[in-house]
Parts: sequence; structure tokens; C-alpha cells
Amino acid sequence: MFRLPFLFIITGIISFALFQIFSLLDLATWLSTLGDWPRYPTGWSRVHLLVLGWATMIAMGAVYQLIPVVLQNQSLYSRKLGFVHYGFFAVGTAGLLIGFQTMLLPLIASFATLAFIGILLFAINLGITLYRAKKWNTVTISAACAVSYLVLAGLSGMLMGLNFYFDQWGSYHDQLFGAHLWFGAIGWFGLLITGFSYKMLPMFYLSHGHPEKLQKVVIGLWNAGVLVGASSFLFNAPGWVKWSGLLLIVLALITYSLHLSEIYQHRHKLDPGAGMKWTQNLARGMTVVAILVLVLYPFFPEIMAESRTYVIMGWIYLWGFIGLTLLSYLSKIIPFLWWTHKYGPLIGKGKIPTMADLINDRVVNICLTVIVSSLFVVLLGLGWNQPIVTSLGGSLLALSSLYYAGTLARVFLK
Amino acid sequence: MEAIWDCLKQVYDPELGVNIVDLGLVYDLQLKEGKASVVMTLTTPGCPMHDTIVGGVKRALEALPEVDSSEVEVVWDPAWSPSLMSDEAKEFLGYM
Repeated sequence: MFRLPFLFIITGIISFALFQIFSLLDLATWLSTLGDWPRYPTGWSRVHLLVLGWATMIAMGAVYQLIPVVLQNQSLYSRKLGFVHYGFFAVGTAGLLIGFQTMLLPLIASFATLAFIGILLFAINLGITLYRAKKWNTVTISAACAVSYLVLAGLSGMLMGLNFYFDQWGSYHDQLFGAHLWFGAIGWFGLLITGFSYKMLPMFYLSHGHPEKLQKVVIGLWNAGVLVGASSFLFNAPGWVKWSGLLLIVLALITYSLHLSEIYQHRHKLDPGAGMKWTQNLARGMTVVAILVLVLYPFFPEIMAESRTYVIMGWIYLWGFIGLTLLSYLSKIIPFLWWTHKYGPLIGKGKIPTMADLINDRVVNICLTVIVSSLFVVLLGLGWNQPIVTSLGGSLLALSSLYYAGTLARVFLK
Repeated sequence: MEAIWDCLKQVYDPELGVNIVDLGLVYDLQLKEGKASVVMTLTTPGCPMHDTIVGGVKRALEALPEVDSSEVEVVWDPAWSPSLMSDEAKEFLGYM
């Protein structure tokens, strides 16, 4: 079972490193352009490299790794299908990135379709696995909902790709774009991260006896939020409907943060590692930002409607919450994968390293601190419309992220 | 029997860094006519280390001269609780 998640995770790390190298090569000036005009070829290409090439690739690998575990060692429906899924998704994503960069419309349309076929194969594989196991709990329900939203995000993305080519839908393209963002960013990533946290955090904190009722509340609120938010764009609903979608997600985030505190209070291990601590703090930080946005939205409707505000909010959510949570989890997932592969067969035969020996937790903490600080500089630059500050923050972000990617990759040498 | 318990102390939970005996995961250990039988649990159902730890227990037991074969049964009832940990384990994890 090692090779399949490994393939996705290693591809994700390579995409992540490529994204940072591209950012360094243009000193993150692409970020300033994104602040002025979010929808342009390099912006599309870079954002999809991050979202599909890295985050989704890592998330898919984590699903293949963790779902059999959550199902108490029930194996995946088909590993072969998992490899076919990888082929379609990796080739589709690579072609799509080139298509965006070059704005060759047939390329965008055809590779978006390939990537979508990959997503469908992933959904089929996971769907049959879950259906056969019949072990429905908050983790498996969250994963099933998350993958359903990924399919919807892929479908809306593919339709947009086809519309680039056929140009038939006029303003409906933008409505579809809003729904695409809600399904992908909030639905897919949000439900996957919250759902997996119900397993990961208690495991690493050795939490025992914590209540689990709030997990169901989070799932209900999060799903309602995604459905309202995506529908508000699809059907071009008035502003208050969009605000209602945001309200539901804020309530879900508050409940999620409260639940993470419950897990923390019932811990039996003082130090779960820097990655786990960061996960909790990132959720709290995201909750505070989301509350602020929700409260300010009705008072500053013009600022909230500006594309720059969307870019800033998107960057806070995608990088500050989703991206950093994934990076934090990787500091545990990668040592686990590698330890199980290399040292698992040696357990009981004498002294072998522990997982903690495979990665320097202090370096993880320093890297994540520098990445978060650099992100603040980027946001400051974008908010004040200071391209030099954005460029400085973006370059620091890329450098620290590259170092972190190297730290993760070095695990495979131990 | 003491030697067998000691050999199980070589099997560590690789994430927690504590051996399975001090974690309180081993509920019962029997040795009859060269066959060692262990009844044990894990800290959580669906523990990702399930197969690895069970394999480790078998390897550790079968390395002993008095053991010809081994059998490991993982049970969830009674469920593991932190109170089953030894004082050493609690101290190591920072929970006393």
C-alpha cells in the first residue's frame, strides 16, 4: 500500500517545489499582478499548480493512505485503479497548466477533461471502498462529502475549460467560476481537512474520551455552507444569500475550533510535534479572520466586492489555512509513510529509529513560523498595494517553503 | 515468562516512542508447549500501526528459543485507556 500514496505525495512535493522556484524566478511579481487582475494566464497557471499539482495531489495521497486505516485496515477497492487515476490526473493537470500559461484553448479544454476523468476514477475507487466497508463515521462521511465536492469542482472546471473553447455561455461563465471556487476550495479541501483532523489530532495527542458530538455539527454546517455558497453563485443570488453561505462556514469553523480544544483538553501526550500544534493554531487563526470578514462584509460591500479583496481572502484561506495545514500534516504523514516502509519490517528485532528521529521537529517549527511570517508580508503588500512588499514577502515565502520541502524530502534519506 | 515479557518490551509504538508493555497494550500472555499466545489491543481502533505492531510482536516472540510459534489476537474490548500505562510511560509522554 506504500507506493500509491507515495506516488501522489512525491508528485505533490515536486509541484510545490516547482511553484516556489517559479515564484523565486520572477521574485513573486506574479503575485502583485494577481492582486491587480486575478484572472490572467500566469495567475491561472500558478494557482492551479498550487491547488491541483500540490494540494489536491497531496490530499489524494493522504486519502489513499488514511482511508484504509480509518476503515480498520480494510483495503482499497482497487489499487490498480488508483494508479490509472494518477495517470489521468497527473497528465491532465500538467497539460492544463501549460494550456493556461500559453492560453491555447484546445489544450485547456482537452486536458481539463483528462484531469476530470482522473477525479471521477478517484471518486469511484473511494466510493466503492466506503460502500463496501459500511463503516460510516464522521471521518468517512467527511471524506465522502469532500470527494463529492471535488467531482463538482472538477465538473464546473471542465465546463469552464470547454466554454473557453466554444464561448457559448456569456456571463454564466462567471457564475460557474464562483461555484467552482466554493466546491473546490471550501467543499473539497475544507471537509477533507476537518474530517481527517478528527483522526489525526487525537492520534498524535493520544487524546482519549473526548466528546465527538461537535464533529457532526461541523459536517452539517460545512455542507450547508458549501451548498448555499455555491448555489448563490450558480443562480446569481443577491448578496445576503452569499453572506448566509459565509455565515454557515464561520459557524462551522467556530464549532471546529471548539472541538479541537476538546481534543486538546483530553490529551495524554504533552508534545504531539510542531505540525500538530500548528494545525490547531491555524484553525483558530482562520476562524478569527472568517469572523472579521463576516462582520465587515455588510459595512464595506464595495471593498468586499473588489477583486483585490478576493485575492487576499483567497490567499489567506488557500495558503494560510489549507496549504499550511497540509504542510503541517506532512511533517507527520511523510515520516509515517517512510518509517512503515523502511523500518516497519524490523520492529521487534532490536533498536530502530522512531518516527520522531526521521524529521527535526525544531526545524519544522522554525520553517512553519517563517512561512507564516512571510505570508503576512505578502498580505500586507497586497492590501496596501505595494508591489515591492508583495515581492519581498513572496520571495521569502518561496525560499522558506523550498527549505521546508527539502526538510520533508530528506526524510526519504533516513 | 519474564523473558517473554521482556522481549515484548522491544516492540515500540514508533510514534509515541514507548514499548507496548509500558503502554498497557498487552492484556494476556500465555506459553503452552512452545506456542506463545498474546491478547493485546491498540491505543485506538483503526490504528495505522496495526499490522506493523502485530508483526513486530510475532517476530520478537519467535526469536526466543522457547517459542516455536506465536499467535496474536487484537481485541477492542476492553478498550485501551491511558490509565493502563505504566508510570514510566506516563512520565515519558509528559502526562502524570
